Formats: sequence, C-alpha cells, structure tokens
Amino acid sequence: MNFDYIDVIQTLIDGILFGSIYALIGLGFTLIFGAMHKLNLAYASSGIAGAYIGLMSLTIIGLPVLMVFIIGPIVAGLISLILYFACFRFMPRGNHLAPLMASIGALFFIDELIIHATAGSPLSFPAILQNSYFIVGEFGIRGDLLMIMGFSLILMVVVMLLLYRTKLGLATRAASQQPVAALLCGIPTHKTNATTFCLAGILGGFAGCLLAASVGVLSPLIILPLTIKGLIVTVIGGLGSIRGAVIAGFAVGAAEGIFLLVRGVNERDIYVYLLLFFFLVFRPNGLFGSTINRD
Amino acid sequence: MIEVRNLVKHFGGVRAVDGLDFKIKQGEVFGLIGPNGSGKSTTVNLICGVFPTTDGEILLDGIDLCAIAPHNRVDAGVARTFQNIRLFGELTVWQNLWVAWRDQPGQEQSWISNWFRRSPTRRQEIQKLLEFSGLGDKANHLASNLAFGEQRCLELARAMASKPKLILLDEPAAGMNSAEIKDLCKRVLTMKEMGMTVLLVEHVMELVMNVTDRIIVLNFGKPIAEGTPVEIQNNEAVKSAYFGSSENTEGGAS
Amino acid sequence: MTYFLGILQTIGVHTLLGLSAYLLLLTGQLSLAQAGFFAIGAYVSGILTVIFGLHIFPALAIGAFIAGFFAFLVGFPALRVKGLMLVVATIAFSEIVRLFFFNLSWRVIINGIEVGPDSTQGFREIRYFAANGWEQIDIVGLIWFLVIAVMLVLWWLDQVRAGAVLRAVGADELAAQSSGINLTRVKIAAMTGGGVIAGIGGGLFAHSTTYIDHHTFVILLATFAVSYPILGGLRSVVGTLVAVIFIQGFIIEGLRFIGDYRYLIFGLLIVLVMNLRPQGMIDGHFLADIKKLLGRKTMRGKVDD
Repeated sequence: MNFDYIDVIQTLIDGILFGSIYALIGLGFTLIFGAMHKLNLAYASSGIAGAYIGLMSLTIIGLPVLMVFIIGPIVAGLISLILYFACFRFMPRGNHLAPLMASIGALFFIDELIIHATAGSPLSFPAILQNSYFIVGEFGIRGDLLMIMGFSLILMVVVMLLLYRTKLGLATRAASQQPVAALLCGIPTHKTNATTFCLAGILGGFAGCLLAASVGVLSPLIILPLTIKGLIVTVIGGLGSIRGAVIAGFAVGAAEGIFLLVRGVNERDIYVYLLLFFFLVFRPNGLFGSTINRD
Repeated sequence: MIEVRNLVKHFGGVRAVDGLDFKIKQGEVFGLIGPNGSGKSTTVNLICGVFPTTDGEILLDGIDLCAIAPHNRVDAGVARTFQNIRLFGELTVWQNLWVAWRDQPGQEQSWISNWFRRSPTRRQEIQKLLEFSGLGDKANHLASNLAFGEQRCLELARAMASKPKLILLDEPAAGMNSAEIKDLCKRVLTMKEMGMTVLLVEHVMELVMNVTDRIIVLNFGKPIAEGTPVEIQNNEAVKSAYFGSSENTEGGAS
Repeated sequence: MTYFLGILQTIGVHTLLGLSAYLLLLTGQLSLAQAGFFAIGAYVSGILTVIFGLHIFPALAIGAFIAGFFAFLVGFPALRVKGLMLVVATIAFSEIVRLFFFNLSWRVIINGIEVGPDSTQGFREIRYFAANGWEQIDIVGLIWFLVIAVMLVLWWLDQVRAGAVLRAVGADELAAQSSGINLTRVKIAAMTGGGVIAGIGGGLFAHSTTYIDHHTFVILLATFAVSYPILGGLRSVVGTLVAVIFIQGFIIEGLRFIGDYRYLIFGLLIVLVMNLRPQGMIDGHFLADIKKLLGRKTMRGKVDD
C-alpha cells in the first residue's frame, strides 16, 4: 500500500467536506434527543424521503431544479412532524423503549415505501456544480462539495441562533430539562417538541438533498448507513451536544475517507462503525458529552 | 462508626452540601433535619454513592466510602430507603426482599451460588423479615398492589434485608397518617434494639423527636445546630431557620 | 407435510431469536445485536461442518460459544452507558457483522467440490443434514428439542434468585444498585446468554436452510428478534413463543394476500402496537385474565429460598 501524503490529504479534504452532511444528520438527531431525551431512528429516512419527493417535483411536475432543494426539506420537515405524532407524541413520558421501537417500525415503513415506489432502482439526482473544481496547490477541491460544506455551515449557524437567541429555542431547552415544570409554566411542550421535530426534519431534508446531489444518485440503500453514521456522529459528539455533533460529523467524514482509501469501499463502513466502539471504550461521554454516563 | 468530614457537593453553581461534619456512634439513631433544600437528601445520596462528592470524606468504620462503587457500598454495610418509593413494582413482595438479601458479612458466597442456589437460611430470614414488617401473608402479592403504608414497610424491610451496618431512611414518614407514624416509631426503635445504626432524614417531627438520640440541623447545606432532641427543640438558630427570625414573626401571628 | 414442517422450522428458529432478545429485555435493555449473534452462529457452525467436517452438535456448540463470546465483547463497552447508546452500538455491531460476512471468502475444495462462504454469493452447500441421513422431521425435532430446552432454562431462571435479580434491574436500576446489585455485571451476563441462544438459532438456521447470505442478517431480523418478546410480554417465555407464531404466521400467511407489502405493514404494525400498548401486549394483567378464564388462581410469583 503506497499512499502519497498528497492522496491522504486529498482524501481528508474530501472527507471533511462530505462530513458536513453527517454533521447535519447528527445535528438533527441531537436536536431531537436534546428536546425529548429520545432517539428518533426514522430521522435520516425522513430526510431521504423528503429528497425523493423533491426529486419527484422535478421529474413528474417538471419544476426547476432549484425547487428540489426547497420542496425536499419542506416535505422532510412534514414527514418528521408526522413521525412526531406517530411515534412520540402519545407515548408515556418516561418510556424510552416504546418510542424507539415505534421509530424503528416507521423506519422500515418509510424504507419499504420508497422501495416499492421506485421499484428498488436508484434514481438520478440533479448534481449541482458538477464540473467546478478548484486547484489549490497540489490539491483539488470539488466545487460542489465546497458548496455543500458552506450550505451546511450556514444551516448549523441558523440552528444555533434559533436555539439560543429565540424564545422558541429557550422554551425548547427549558422543556428538555424539566418537561413537567415547563408545562406548568405555560410552555406548550408538545408544540415546542413538534417544532423541533419539524426543524430537524428540514435539516434532514437538506442533508438528504445535498447527499444525493454530491453523488448524483438517490437510492433507498443509503438510508440505513446514513442512519447509523448519523447516530455514531451523535454518540461520538456526546449525546445532546450540538457542538459535538458538528465536530464529530466532520471527523467521521474524514475517517470514512481514510478508511475508503486504505481498505476500499466494501470494508469502509466496517471501520467507521468500529469507530463507535472505540469511543464507547475510551470516551463513552463522547467528545463534549456531560456525565450522562452511569456505573 | 460513621464519620463525615467536610462533605461538599456542588451541582454547577448550587452548593447543595457545603462543609458538613458529623459523627454517628454505633447503635445510634441519628436525625438529619432542616428546611427543604437544605441538603438532607443530597447527603443521603452522597453516602450511598448516587453522586460523587465534590470534596470531603465519608468513613464507615474507618473505610472511605467515596472510593467504593455504589453497588459495592451495600457490601460495605450501607442500605437505604427512598423518599419516593422505589420498589420493584412488577416483582412480588418476596422477590423484592430476595433480591436485596445478602449473606452474613464474612460468609459471602460466590455470585453463582447467590444467583442460582437455594438456601434455607435465606428463606427463613426473609420470612422473619416479612413477619416483622407485617407482610407475612402478602409474600406473593405484587409490590405495586400493596397499600401505601405497606409499601413503605416493604421498602424498609428491603433495606434491612441486606444486613446493613448503617441504614439510611430518607423521609420514611412522608405521606403517612398518625397511626402509621406511631407504627414506624416502634419499628425504628426495634431496629435500634436489634443493633442497627440509623441515619434518619425527616420532616415529620413526631417521628424525629421520638426515636432519635441526636440530631443535626442543616440549612443551605451547612450544619447550624447539633444536639439531643430536647436541645434542638429549644435552639434559636433552628427555630429561625424553620420559621424565620423573631423580627419577622413579631407583627404576624401570635 | 413438507410445508408444515418448514413452518415449524422457521417458527422454531425465530423463537430462539426471540428468546435471546427476551433475556436482555428482562434487564430493560433493547439490543439490536441479535442479528449479529445469529449470523455468527450461522457462519461459524456452517464453516465447521462444511470445511472442517465436524459433527453437527459440536459445530452448533462452538458456534454458540463464539456468538456468546462476541456478545460479551459487545456488552462490555456498550452496557456501561445509557440504554439509548446500547441501541446505537448494537445496530452498528449487527451491521459490522453483516458487512464482515459480506466480504468473507473462504473457499476450499472438498471431495472435488468447491465449498465455503463466497462473499457476495453467500454460503451454499451447508449440507450436513442431507449428507448424514437426517430427514426433515429429524431436523425439526432437533430444533424444537433445543427450543424447549432453552425455554426450560429461562423458565428455571425465574425459579431461582437470578430471575428476580434480572427483573429488578429492568424495573428500577437505581433501587437495584442501592440493593447491592452490580448492574453492569447483570446486563453483561444477560447479553452473553442472549448471544449464546442466538448463536444456537443461527447454527440451526444455516443447516436447515442449507444456504445463507448476508441479506438475511439485516437489522430487520434484529427487529423481529426484539418484537417477539415485546409483543409477547416479559412475564413469561411462553409469551415470546406465542408472539413468534402470531407474527410469523402473519408474515407467512400475509405472503398470500399482501405479497411484498408485508414488511411495510409489519413496520406500520409496530408503530400501532407501541402506541396502543407501550408496555407490550401480553403483560401481567392479560395473563391474569387468561388464567381466570381457565379457572386458575391469579396469584403470581413464588415463595422460594
């Protein structure tokens, strides 16, 4: 195995840029976990489903390409909202298992629905800025990946602003820390949670669209790996830490690139998933997690 | 037998316990009282290992408890009841005691034996404990189906089942009526006769004044008084902590 | 008759899958790793009989042992932390195992034929039973013998203190810890036991279907594994068996009417059931009602040593 340091750094660049998508998904999981202390395993699938519907607006209705990136996230937000009502809204507050199982059921439902609707074959997705490519010294930077990174960063900043500078964000954070007390203070926790789900869904829709745009293809096969990597990002970043999810997203993207370089596409994911266990053994709190660790 | 030195616990900016010292003698019933938020339950949680301490030492017969993991503190001889009842609701009364029961200290069996072997001694001791708690005929009932008072008795019995040196009672009388409180007083005094050392955290003064040998009073995480029940009842600092200073009450109710 | 025996095979193997999840669910932990342990049991025992020519019983045993060993390895880091992390870790584990076997190629020539796992082509020719004169009825007999043996062992756990300890951890971890129970040790034990059971199931599956590939060992399988005890309730092992019959019967019968949409409906069903009965379908009250119907007393539990 002879790798030029150029190959390595190039891989890292590509990986980090691509990792912004994982950061978005991790952010979405973290938002939901932060609000309700529960995991929505169907989250990534709602993002991809949104991307599919966005694509349909192009192929079936014939809207301009840009609309895909607007309709996709909006629909994903709606799907996420439906997920909230289907799997989380009516569950007993302390029960963590039931909503988790329900979201697994929803994950399969959405996955199978997509497979049936598309007869299992991948669909081509408009790739933006396909041909732009910047040369910086010895390295090449893909224009579309750069745009994805930029877009993701903007989204992350918007989310942070929403959470920390708006009344809605304050209400959500209060509700997450003390759901009963928040209710008693007049905070409509169900509404704030629903809004969080919606917001996270929109993020997921962007992530789905951006992912599809960068590879040029939409396929139901990406749902599960995206879900798992998103979860890994969430856990490695520290459950509930937004900073952590963002940084972990880039880190996982970079690691994935290196594993791809070193072990090839068939084995790449094995090592990415093993990364999770590495963290569980040595840093169970994740990068920025609080002491949620028991025992 | 129990010595707490300079116990400190901060939760972020909140100083729940801020420099607590006390000693409990073997066989004593020691009361820990104070207004809400004074750090009583936190102290119990620290002794049991629910949270780690920020500073200070907790010595049980000379052994530093802070170095011992929570589930091992039972082996060290600590047991507790909870303010909000935490029984194993889906298990029977018998099973609740079965789970908490331990061998005589010094005669511990391997975990294989503990988990899988039968033991007539264990059966007898649990039976006796049930009779003591007035639950002798309810062994097969689900814990969640018991009446409130019975549940409190079961919680107490479960703590006793692990043969502790020190038993921590966290507001055992909360929600009890007069008759149940009298019953509890008798029970705690019997425990004292059986040689147990008790740390009682409580608001219900009827219980505290009747069973404790000595009391320490906390306010804002710090001790403000220590003494016998009679001394505490007459202590000005205590009164002011509970009722406000005499200047405030002057113009109000007689 | 073959059709009927085939259903019995499937139900038997899936019951083992469900029982392996049941053990860990008693401690309140949701694990989606059963697919991974099942896969390990399947591939290992298959390789042992096909490539190394072992007799079926030691092959099954070793497969189960290795599955249990990996369960222990997974449990160690994953059970020290919050339950939600365990779900993530077990999903990752099952996928790691599936991808590993997806890439595994170990081909040898035995008696002139090339055999062994062939990465994406799967693992064919696991013909131990046929080559050694086992009839289908014998295979079904072996499967159910093991199923009943495992059920008896799990039932026995509730007759001794271990069962109460497991359930106490599942009921209230703080109270259990304060009663002196080492939470991590209990959960790891349950995880390892579950791994062994799933490994047995995997080995039986591989040999009774003679062909396995990575498509079987997906997260959907792990979801089935936990669905059975959740649906059947954790009061008793019988609940899991009933749930397997119900769900597999639905899937198999559903094949006729709904065809490929059955997994779609399965997903929908899970969402529905979780909303209607978050504590599982067959909980204590349900069992008590059934017992009343059958005229027996409704007392549960047992006075024991």
